[in-house]
Amino acid sequence: MSIAAPRLHVAAAPAAMSTLAGFGLSVRFILRRNWLRLVIWAAVLAMMIPIVYTSQQATFPTQAARDAYANVANTPAIAAMTGLPYAAGSLGGILVIKIWMTLAVALGFASIFLVTRNGRADEEAGRTELLRGSALGRHAFSLANYTVAGSLSVVTGLLISLLALSDKLPAAGSWVLGGSVAGVGLAFVGVSALCGQLASTSRGANSLGVAVLAVFYLIRAVADVDAHDTNVTALSWFSPIGWGQNMRSYAQDTWWPFLALLALAAAACILALRIETRRDLGMGLLPARPGPARATAFLASPLGLSLRLQRATLISWLFGAIVAGLFFGSVAKAMTSVLDPSNTVAKAFLGGSHDMLNGILGTFVLFTGMLAGAFALQSLSGARAEESGGRLESQLAGSLARTRWLGAHIAVAAAGSALMLLLGGWLTGVSSNGAASGSAMAWAAFAYWPAVLLMMGAMLFLHGFLPRQSVSLSWAIYGVSVVVAMFGPLFSLSESAIKATPFGAVPRMPAVDFSLPPVLVLTAIAVGLGALGVWRFRTRDIIPE
Amino acid sequence: MSPNIPAVEVTGLRKRFGTTTALAGLDLQVEQGTVAGFLGPNGSGKSTTIRILLGLLRADGGSATLLGGVPWRDAVELHRRIAYVPGDVSLWPNLTGGQAIDILARLRGGVDTAQRDELLARFELDPSKKARSYSKGNRQKVALVAGLASSAELLILDEPTSGLDPLMEQVFTDCIREVKGQGRSVLLSSHIFAEVEKLCDTVTIIRDGRTVEAGRLDELRHLHRTTVSVTLDREATVLAGVPGINDLAADGNRATFTVGEEALGGVLAAIAAYAPRTLVSSPPSLEELFLRHYGAAGAPAAAGKGSGTGTTAAQTAGAR
Repeated sequence: MSIAAPRLHVAAAPAAMSTLAGFGLSVRFILRRNWLRLVIWAAVLAMMIPIVYTSQQATFPTQAARDAYANVANTPAIAAMTGLPYAAGSLGGILVIKIWMTLAVALGFASIFLVTRNGRADEEAGRTELLRGSALGRHAFSLANYTVAGSLSVVTGLLISLLALSDKLPAAGSWVLGGSVAGVGLAFVGVSALCGQLASTSRGANSLGVAVLAVFYLIRAVADVDAHDTNVTALSWFSPIGWGQNMRSYAQDTWWPFLALLALAAAACILALRIETRRDLGMGLLPARPGPARATAFLASPLGLSLRLQRATLISWLFGAIVAGLFFGSVAKAMTSVLDPSNTVAKAFLGGSHDMLNGILGTFVLFTGMLAGAFALQSLSGARAEESGGRLESQLAGSLARTRWLGAHIAVAAAGSALMLLLGGWLTGVSSNGAASGSAMAWAAFAYWPAVLLMMGAMLFLHGFLPRQSVSLSWAIYGVSVVVAMFGPLFSLSESAIKATPFGAVPRMPAVDFSLPPVLVLTAIAVGLGALGVWRFRTRDIIPE
Repeated sequence: MSPNIPAVEVTGLRKRFGTTTALAGLDLQVEQGTVAGFLGPNGSGKSTTIRILLGLLRADGGSATLLGGVPWRDAVELHRRIAYVPGDVSLWPNLTGGQAIDILARLRGGVDTAQRDELLARFELDPSKKARSYSKGNRQKVALVAGLASSAELLILDEPTSGLDPLMEQVFTDCIREVKGQGRSVLLSSHIFAEVEKLCDTVTIIRDGRTVEAGRLDELRHLHRTTVSVTLDREATVLAGVPGINDLAADGNRATFTVGEEALGGVLAAIAAYAPRTLVSSPPSLEELFLRHYGAAGAPAAAGKGSGTGTTAAQTAGAR
């Protein structure tokens, strides 16, 4: 796939007065900058359908097996995490249980990151100013951005429908399946369009978008846990993810929530363009306030500066860990009354644990570990951002050793993730109403610290040897590790293969007893990779973008 | 430190980025207590040289010393004694200018608060504004205040006045004169000829990663021909036969030509015979020296010595 390089001077003089002049050109320009990203997102998400379908067909080969599953599928854990099972007796319904939520949330993330990347990030870097300086209409570039991000949802939805059809699933349900995923993606194009207008930095826009997504996810999780049988509560309608779920592919096949999702996307985009008319280029809606004229001695130290730069990241992720911990603990409590320990299907889902409750708690601890890993990567990528932004040069022109500078960034990421694990785990235990003790859960979560350190080690290694690609490659490694640890069995991976990955290797306490060797191996690899990366960083050129 | 160690000494410096050669044997010397101009077209390797001097890049060959130390090996110790002002200043968008100044100055070992406040006043910079809202000129001021509010032995300035208005350029010129008066050294990379002519003792002109001209500014002028304009009592074409006269442009009784230092006496004697009514002699300006190397490689004389030269020479003479 290749698109010719668009010329950036807009020749169409008659349209120059319009706010949309240069729209087509902008679309081609954004496609040219993002086509590979778009193709990968669409392909990876859509390919989940045949992969998961095949594995579920193997797990539930007969209608009798599916009926047996349908009797036990509706547990609070499944309802909370992947949505209320409403048609667990059919292969289509099982496919929805296993993968719909992942697809919808992933497409939401993709939409947020794409819109920010081509919107607020470009504006922050001053590239938008360069484009607007030519005969480009005020809204042309933003609308092109929303259009391209929206097209990802549409194409992904279409591919999902077509792949579901090719697996001989019911036609009506297959179209609703693709439509519901696409609709949620489009809604988050609208959400991130708004975030890009409200926040004045790309990081702020991304954080705001992800926070909104998390809130919508939690709203529908509570609604699904509170559901009576397969009837959702009204709360489900307060989240666009809930709207997508309520389209109920392979069951009622309702289309009208899709229209609501479209309307939400359109309204949010229109509102975003309105705000764009009212505000100055480069600014958010909130006015800038004067700040301190002096830096404290602590801020002027490498650690203080690193901590200040990561402040917003640190606070928002800690908040996330607190909310997640409380949520996990309270859901675990709900399960103690529902779960039947002899349920073999639930057993498979929870990784072969004899004690259902501990299995669920172990899964929640894994999630906490993944959250901490994501924070560590985002925090540590701040180091590369300082280098690519040209600010590292000014710092190193002072009397500052490279190792000391990098050490400050490592310290913030390592200490912050440890705090997240301990806090998240402790709150899970404390809020579990006696299911587990706070200290036991804090320890169980902290066992994931070596896996988090391994993620950091990999990023440090890449930062040393491949600085330009280090951030995206690190996230790719993280993504694969997370998917394997969460969905390994779904992809028919063997237990030993899963245990050979960072998050899979950690003993999943309290379901499994603690064992030292895997933790030691993880730590050793993390330290080795990190040390190599730091050594290389000391000896390589400083490479701004 | 002993006065005979140069502040900067670079010989035969080489650096490649992949297949691109950035530096191909560059020489540069800054004596202690002097202000050295560092000139070259965009992409000629000025910033690469400065980054190597700061220990940010590693040289592929040649040698570079800074205040007697090796920039790569001794970066942390050396940087206590130098101040650096980049030409394209990136700041933390969510910190204020004042915070950025303190951070950058303290990284070097400390900030002289009185000097900082005086510089803030002279450069008319509001330190309580977030860096996000600063213009290019204001970001430049942040780096200048941070760099100048120090007692660094050597200032490395990479196009430090880009984005400053003429009044602020004047403040900058005053500051550098004060620095020089204190016996400190300055390496000044710049595109502004007037600034370099006002401030610099020596000049190094580079092109394509090589030094093409280096020395004291007054000595360099001697190496090049002086431009002379005369009005005679007859057709100026008579000068065509005088030995030592080059690039003659005659217009009626008036003529403009160039003459080398060694032939000036003989040429003046020959002109005296034609009863000159006016005579203006202008030494070559820095701009001419620069354009000689900067312009099309094949035609240096034509580019630098055409009829347009008269105006630049007159401007230079007028400025003095």
